[in-house]
This record gives sequence, structure tokens and C-alpha cells, in this order.
Amino acid sequence: MTTTIRRSPWLAVAVVVSLVALACSNSSGKSDEGAEESSQAVAVDAPGVSETEIRVGGVASITNPLSGKYDQVALGVKAYFQMVNESGGIYGRELNLVAEKDDNTSNNDAAVQELLTQDDVFAVLPVATLLYTGADRLVDAKVPTFGWNINAEWGGTAEEPRDNLFGQNGSFLCLGCSSPVAAYVADQLDAKKIGLLAYNVPQSADCATGDEKTFEQYAGDGSATIVFADKAMAFGGGDFSVQVSQMKDAGVDLVVTCMDLQGVVALAREMKRQSLDAPQYLLNAYDPELLTDFGDLFQDSIVLTFFAPFEVEDPPEGLKTYLEWMEKTDTPANENTVNGWLNAALFVDGLREAGENFSRQKVIDAINSMTDWNGDGLLYGVDWTKQHIDVPNPQCNAFSRVDGDKFVPVFGEPGKPFVCLDADAEGVPEGTPSA
Amino acid sequence: MADIVDYAIRGLPIGCVFALLAVGLVLTYRTSGVFNLAFAAQAYTSAAVFYVVRHDHEWPLLPAAVLAIGVVAPLLGLGLERGLFRHLRGAPPIARTVTSLGLLVAIPEIVKLWIGDSAQKNPPPLWPVTRTDEWLWPREGARYVLDAGQMATVLSTVVVVVGLTILLRRSALGLRMRAVVESARMAQLAGVNADRVSMLAWALSSALAGLTGVLLAPLFAELVPLHFFTLLVAALAACVVGRLVSIPLAVLGGIGLGVLQAVLAGLLPTDSVLSTGLRPALPFVVLFLLLLLRPPRLGDRLETDPLAGVDPPPPPLVSVIRTRSLTLTTRALALAAITLGLGAGLFVLDDFWLTLVTSGLVLAVVLLSFTVLTGMGGMVSLCQATFAAIGAFSTAQIVDATGAPVVLAMLAGTVVAAAVGGLLAVPLLRLDGIYLTLATLAFALMFQSVLVPLDWVSGGSTPIEVPRPLIGSIDLADDHAFFVFAALCVALVGAIVVQLRQATTGRFLDAVRGSEAAAVAVGISPLRQRVVAFALAAGIAGFGGGLIASWTGEANYDRSFQFLYGLVWVVLVVTMGARSVQAAVFGGLAFYLIPELVERLPLIPDDWASGLSVALFGLGALTYARHPEGIIEANSSAVIGRIQRLLQRRSSRHPQQPALSIEGAGAP
Repeated sequence: MTTTIRRSPWLAVAVVVSLVALACSNSSGKSDEGAEESSQAVAVDAPGVSETEIRVGGVASITNPLSGKYDQVALGVKAYFQMVNESGGIYGRELNLVAEKDDNTSNNDAAVQELLTQDDVFAVLPVATLLYTGADRLVDAKVPTFGWNINAEWGGTAEEPRDNLFGQNGSFLCLGCSSPVAAYVADQLDAKKIGLLAYNVPQSADCATGDEKTFEQYAGDGSATIVFADKAMAFGGGDFSVQVSQMKDAGVDLVVTCMDLQGVVALAREMKRQSLDAPQYLLNAYDPELLTDFGDLFQDSIVLTFFAPFEVEDPPEGLKTYLEWMEKTDTPANENTVNGWLNAALFVDGLREAGENFSRQKVIDAINSMTDWNGDGLLYGVDWTKQHIDVPNPQCNAFSRVDGDKFVPVFGEPGKPFVCLDADAEGVPEGTPSA
Repeated sequence: MADIVDYAIRGLPIGCVFALLAVGLVLTYRTSGVFNLAFAAQAYTSAAVFYVVRHDHEWPLLPAAVLAIGVVAPLLGLGLERGLFRHLRGAPPIARTVTSLGLLVAIPEIVKLWIGDSAQKNPPPLWPVTRTDEWLWPREGARYVLDAGQMATVLSTVVVVVGLTILLRRSALGLRMRAVVESARMAQLAGVNADRVSMLAWALSSALAGLTGVLLAPLFAELVPLHFFTLLVAALAACVVGRLVSIPLAVLGGIGLGVLQAVLAGLLPTDSVLSTGLRPALPFVVLFLLLLLRPPRLGDRLETDPLAGVDPPPPPLVSVIRTRSLTLTTRALALAAITLGLGAGLFVLDDFWLTLVTSGLVLAVVLLSFTVLTGMGGMVSLCQATFAAIGAFSTAQIVDATGAPVVLAMLAGTVVAAAVGGLLAVPLLRLDGIYLTLATLAFALMFQSVLVPLDWVSGGSTPIEVPRPLIGSIDLADDHAFFVFAALCVALVGAIVVQLRQATTGRFLDAVRGSEAAAVAVGISPLRQRVVAFALAAGIAGFGGGLIASWTGEANYDRSFQFLYGLVWVVLVVTMGARSVQAAVFGGLAFYLIPELVERLPLIPDDWASGLSVALFGLGALTYARHPEGIIEANSSAVIGRIQRLLQRRSSRHPQQPALSIEGAGAP
């Protein structure tokens, strides 16, 4: 029996590693996968299209650490498809959402690849994910893709526009850029002293940086300024007692945040506890269930939506149809399902524009030639010739105030639910009510 | 000064939350000997039960509370004791730590299979008012105001602390509980029914977890397991103040932490580097510093069973002693399996399955770091994902800044990770057992809170891109080529690990693991060997991190390196077999393939698939009680035993002398 302690293999290992390293450089990273896909996309021989149906598949972070209801986006798509199918489908074909992948938050790329290689789909919709690591794969494969634009990967550049990725109202997202919206809200509420709170995670901090730039860029006589800012909150942390007491001492009269539901609820509770009487300006909070659960905490807060709020007077046709089908299909009406509905609507309009001999590329080109797509008035018109690579100007959104257990549309006019703001204005821009 | 007092008072309620959690952990540790990280999962379970019966089925408060805290929680504790921890009573601390980590992962997923994955908003309170803001004390508008929830937390903390202190210090039951933890066999010799006492201890600590869960759930807007775990991790610093055994000190630690957090939030300028860097990471910084500056004394350890030494050492790996014919046979089988695997990857698997297999191989490189650290060194590190991230970020930054070939950058990343690991090891390795594990967890969380948000480390909100290598004329942008490259990397790192095991470091680590005193007596420096093992493991994880970044095209922390992944990985590796290379490879493959295979099982509902996979990974750790050597090693033993019997039957027909070897290089 021998117990030799051998050392020579270490030298061999070192030599191999060195040789490999010296022979190395970096790949350009371009694979031919996309080229192959595009050359295959011919007329109705396209993947996922048969004589009777057009198959699409979606991916969402159904399992996510925030318990976000990303799966609901698919409900909006299904409702829209049901409406289209009941009226005969498209070119005699039914629209079917055949796959709803759960990317478990971190496996987006694998879920996207599975859709493309296993599920035989013509287009990918809806995409509603916390991380969007599969975006490059979709761009390379040139598959028409529709989803909820909450990730920077949706947007492109002039050189690489990513023109097959379609968010619900444009694809470009710049979290760290200034935008006149928060300054306009402060102006409308006659708020002068802003409190700003964000987590110390990159996305949240970028958003807060954008807000800081906003109140610097759109400053004017008597306009609002940030008097308290804390961008170092621990993610998921529930103690805002010191921050609220400091905001109270500073006389804050509007609170702007870049936090999730847990953060804004914990903050609102502390504000209530310490009697800090200031509204919050909330993003992604248009959900009737929010009012059921936490309405009393958010009284008079302002909620931003990119679509016409359900309560507007003289609602646009698109909103009426959406609400009708939500009721018909027993689907909750909220921001998530509006997203899915709009994704499906844009896809169907793209198919119609592409013509009977449609292909993936024809659908993409058809949509990218639309200059004022508005989902029948459900959102402000999107110029798809531009909105892959830039934020629109003017910026048009709708606003609601929390009043009791209802959202009450504000700042717009009957028949004109959106307020458009000139991003190039000096000082706080005047809002222009628009349809 | 007035400001400081003002801020300090504001920190008291959250301090009581930390204190209550810390007391729960300390109670479990003192009465069961398990530092039960699954406490958070048990708390979540009771909160979920309370939510369902109170919110969904509208039960009255009292029956709902009795069911969640008085019935479900103790039953869960009893089940864990009878099914698991009773069998681990004499096992090394690593067994109990990994089992509790497995439960931490598995229990919430099992609960979610029952209650569904959708959000449970606005958890109902345990106090008899409908909303928190309807009851304020002393009055609305007063400078310091506590709501009903905060009052309940403060009062509960006081009651629990007083009650448990009396129980543990003054009652016969408390004395028996402590005796059973110290040595169940000694306690039994003294006439104590160790099983019954242990069951009572688990029921009690589990009920406390239930109370904590139901009490704290209304702090959150939604019922999410991660929130409980985040709070629990923050409370770890308080436990360490009490050296894991003192309830009064743990309470002081919790309240102190809450107060310090509030005072720093008030005094530090909010835009200062210190504020943005220190405040979010404060509990982890405190935990890390406490462990380094106030290391536990030997007497603090509960694992002091005087009869522990009578247990036999673990059996050797099946690859260590074998006949020449067996070695040749297993080598041939291994070669055939590798050839088949490569052939399948190159010619049979479609793009999707090839991606999964390649991802598994790439992860296997990181998992091999556990083979060195846990398998050979006997240490449980919860920061291997962090070392992988360090390797990935270094690779990405070097390529981005210099345009260097990515393989060279990966090697540089390996060196950086190894250097960080080595530097970290010097102070950390004065600790052992659970203290070392906690220190690595604190390091992982500090890295996540302080360094990951920085642009110059991670690239901020836009991850830095990392290209695929180009080796000579072979462009690894092609997935098939990268698959072969990944397989070669696994083989290379696996060979290094096998060499390491057979070389001086491996022998010395074995010696230190077997008996530290005996190792010192023959001139081996345990500290030096552990530092070497820690640095090597960090380097391997760093290399794996660089490989992951190149494979995925980016160094993306959220996608690939979150500290929670490190927890799942350690459970996976220990379940498969921490000491063998093939277990790491199987672990990597299982991590990616099992969820997809579960999803394709005919009887599994679609919305169960992902939760069930995670639960399976966690429950895998429960096999540790039966197979401490790991599932793969146990099965390898069985297969090799069969082959050996087959060969023996053959050799009895054709007699020849077997040559014994202990090289074992044929089947690592």
C-alpha cells in the first residue's frame, strides 16, 4: 500500500491554464441564431402559425420574492384574445396563449429560450418580469415581443434599436433621467417642500436620482424643492420613524418615493402615526384592491397611470371595451390586466396591418410604422417610429387622487383624461389635457 | 443631545422586534442545540395559517390564534423533532445547520403550495382592533406614539423574556432541557427522559416562533417569507450579543441595535457615504464585528457532549480504497459516461436542454468550492455566492476597462476572489461551527448591502457585459463550443480538487478535522490549513463566477449571485455529498434540470412545479440524517459494491491477486 503525495500534476495544470489563457481573446458575441430565425420567417409558414391558430407564449415572474401579481398580465391577454376569437379570429385563425412560463425571477433567459425552442410560438406575449435577462435572445431571434416595460432592457439605441420589443406604451425607460411629471404633481398640489425616499438598491437609487434632477431642472419661482432626501433605506426595512420625524420637522408637504408596496405602506403607517399630513405620489399603485386593503393610509395621494383611469367621465371606446370584457371574463380590472390587454391589442393591430401573408418581420415592421397607436383611446398615442430609443416629448399620463375607497381622476378634463407635459419647458410645464 | 434621545426612543419599537426574534433563536438553541435558521420559516407558517383562517375564513380572533400558535406551531415543532432532529442529536453541528437551512428553504414553499402564490395583503393583527392606526398611545399627535401593534410587540417581548428566563433558570424542566442539549446520553444516565424533554423543547420553541410570526406579520404589507428571514438575519447580531445562550443579553442586543439604527439614521447626513454605505448594512456589520472582536469562548459552545468522542469517524470515500480491477472498471465506466454525456450534449440535446446542462456544469465549478471547504475542511460557508460574485465582477471590470481576453480576466478574478477569501479567513477562522457560518452570512449580506449597489463594483443598475472567450479559432459564442469548454473547466477544477485532497493540504485538513489537538501535536497548524482551504475555495468560486458571467453574457448579481442562492447551494451540495467531486457536478445539473423535469411530470399542476422543485431541494437536506455522506456518495457506494461483488465472482472463477491502491484518482 502506498500513499504518494503527487505534485507534478499541479505543474501540468498550470501549463495547460497558461497555454489556454495565452491563446484566448474575446468573442464578438454574435451568434447566427437570429439570422436563421429571420430567414425562416416567411408568410404564414412562420413558427406557431397553422391554418386554424396563431400560437403565442408569455413569461412572467409568477414566483417572485415580492409577491407581485405578474401572472395577472396574462389574464388581460386572454380576455383580449377571447374577444377577437369570438368575432372570428384573425384571418380565420384563433389566437391562443399556449404557454405561460414562470421564470422564478432569476431564470428569465432560460424561460425565454424554452418558449422559443419548445413551444412553437409566433410571438412572445406577455412579458412581465422583474429581471429581463432573456431580452437579448428575443432581439437576436427577431420575435415580436410585447410586455410590461419595467426593465431597461426593453429600450434600444439608434445603432441597435431593439425594434421587435414593444412595451405597453413605448419601450424606452430611463430611470435616472429627469421627467416633468413629479414637478407637475407638486405644482398642482401647491406643494413646496418635497420629501424623497428610496432604497439603496441600484434601480431604486437611480429612480431617486431622476427625481432629484427633476426638481432641479423644473425649478422656478415658488416651485417645489426637495427638503429631505434619504436614498439609503434598507430594502424591505420597515422602520421609517426617524425619517418621518425629520420630514415633519422640515415641513414636507409631498412625499415622493421609489419603493415597493411594502415600503410605501410602512411609510404611510408611520406618517399616520406621527400625524405627518402629506400625500404620497405613487407609481404602479392603480389597483382597486390597494384601496380595499390600505385605502385609509393613502388618502389624497396621487397615483400615476399611463392609461385612462377607469373612473373618467366620457370614457374612450378602448376603456369601455376593456371594462366590458373584464366583466365578461371575470378578470380583475387593474393595471396588470390593462398591460396584458394593451399588449394583445398592439399585437393584433400589428397582425392586421401586416396583411394576410403576415410574418414575424412584417408584424414588427407594421407596428414600427404606426405613429399614433392608442389602443382605441385607452392610452395616449404612441409613436412607434421613435419610442424604441427615446422618451416621448411631450410626456402624457393620467392622474388619480385617492378619495375614500375610490380613485378620482384629476388634472384632466372630461373626454381628455391625459395631461401632456413639455419636457423642454423652463420651470414647471403647463399641463395640456389631451385625449 | 436631545436629538439623540429623540432618535433613540424612536428606535425602541423596532428594537423590541429584533429582541423578540433573538429570544426565539436563543431559546431554540438553548433547548434543542440547533441554531435554527428555519425559525423564520416556522414563524411564516403560523402567520400563514392565521391569515387563512382569520382573513379568508373569518374565524374569530381567539380560535384563530389558538390554532396558529397553540396547535399548528407546536405540532410542526414536534414533527421536526421526531422526524429529524432527534436523529441528529449526536451529529456534528454542520448536520444540524444544513438541515435547518434545508427547512428554511422547503417549509415556505410547502406552505405556499397550500395557500397559493398570490399575495396575502394586509395580514390581520393579533390584537383585538381592526386596523393598526385606530389605536394609538398615548394619543394621536403626541411626539412619541405607539400603535397597537408596537404596544403588543413591546409587551410580548417583556412577557416572553420574563417567562423564559424563569423557565430556564428556575424550573426543573428548564434544567432538564439544558442537560439534554449538553449531552442527551449523560442526561439519560441521570434518569431524564431525553426524548420527551426534547419534544417539549421543540414544541415550546416552535410555539414561540408561531407567536412571533403572527405578532410581526402586520408589520408587513404582504405576507412574504423573505420579510421574516430578513428580519431574522438582522436579529442575529442580537443573538451574538448574548453569545447565543443569554436571553437577557439578547434582548439588550436587540433593543440596542434598534436604537443604534435610529440614532445613525438621525445623525448621519443622508447623502454621506457613511450613511448610504453603513446604515442599510448595520445589523450585518454589527454581527460581523461582534464575532471578530468578541469571539465566543470555548465554554460558550453547547456541543460539549463528553460522550461525543465515542462516535466512530465517518467511513472513507468509496474511491479511497479499491482493488486495481475495480479502479479500472470504474474508470472505464466513468469514461463511458463522460463520452456519452458529451455526445448527448453535442449531438442529441436541443438548444434549450443544452443550455440547461451547460448552466449546470458552470454552476458545478462554483459548487466544487464547497467540496474543498465543507467536504475537506468541515466548514459551512454561506458566502460562496459572494466569492463567485467577486470573481464575476472582477472579470467584467477587467474586460470592460482593458479589453483583456476574458479567460485571462477570469483567472485574474480567481486571484482576486482567492485573495479576498484568504484575507477574510485570517480573522474568521478563529471562529468555528455556527459562529463561522454566521460570520460568512454577515459578510455576504454586507457585500450585498454595501458593495453591490456601487457602480465601480457591479455596474449599478446596468450589469456589465462579459463576452464569451475566443480560443484560437474556436469561438465560444457557439453554445455547443461553450458546453465543451464548461465540461473541460469542470474536469480541470475537479482534477485540482482531487489533487488537493490527495496532497499535503488535503491530508492535513483531514487530520485537523479528525482531531485538532492531535493535528497540533504532530506539528500541523490548523489555522494555516483552514486559511489555505478558505482561499482555495474562494478562488474556485471566483473562477466559477467568471465562468457564469461569460456564459450568461453579464455579471448580474440579482440573476446569478444573490446570497440566498448560496444558502440553496450549500444545502444542495451537502445533500448530494460534500466530499466528492461527482456530487458537485450532479448538484449543478440537478439545480437546473430538476425544476424542468418536475414541470413535465404528468400529475403536477402547473402552478406547483417551481415551488415543488425548491421544496425538493430543501427537503433533500433531510436525507442527511440517513446519509451523512450524501445521496451521490451513498449510491456510488452501492453501485461500486455491486461491481466489486461482480468482479469478485469473476475472479473466483479466474483466480488472480488484486493489487490494492489508495490513489483513487480513477473515480474522484
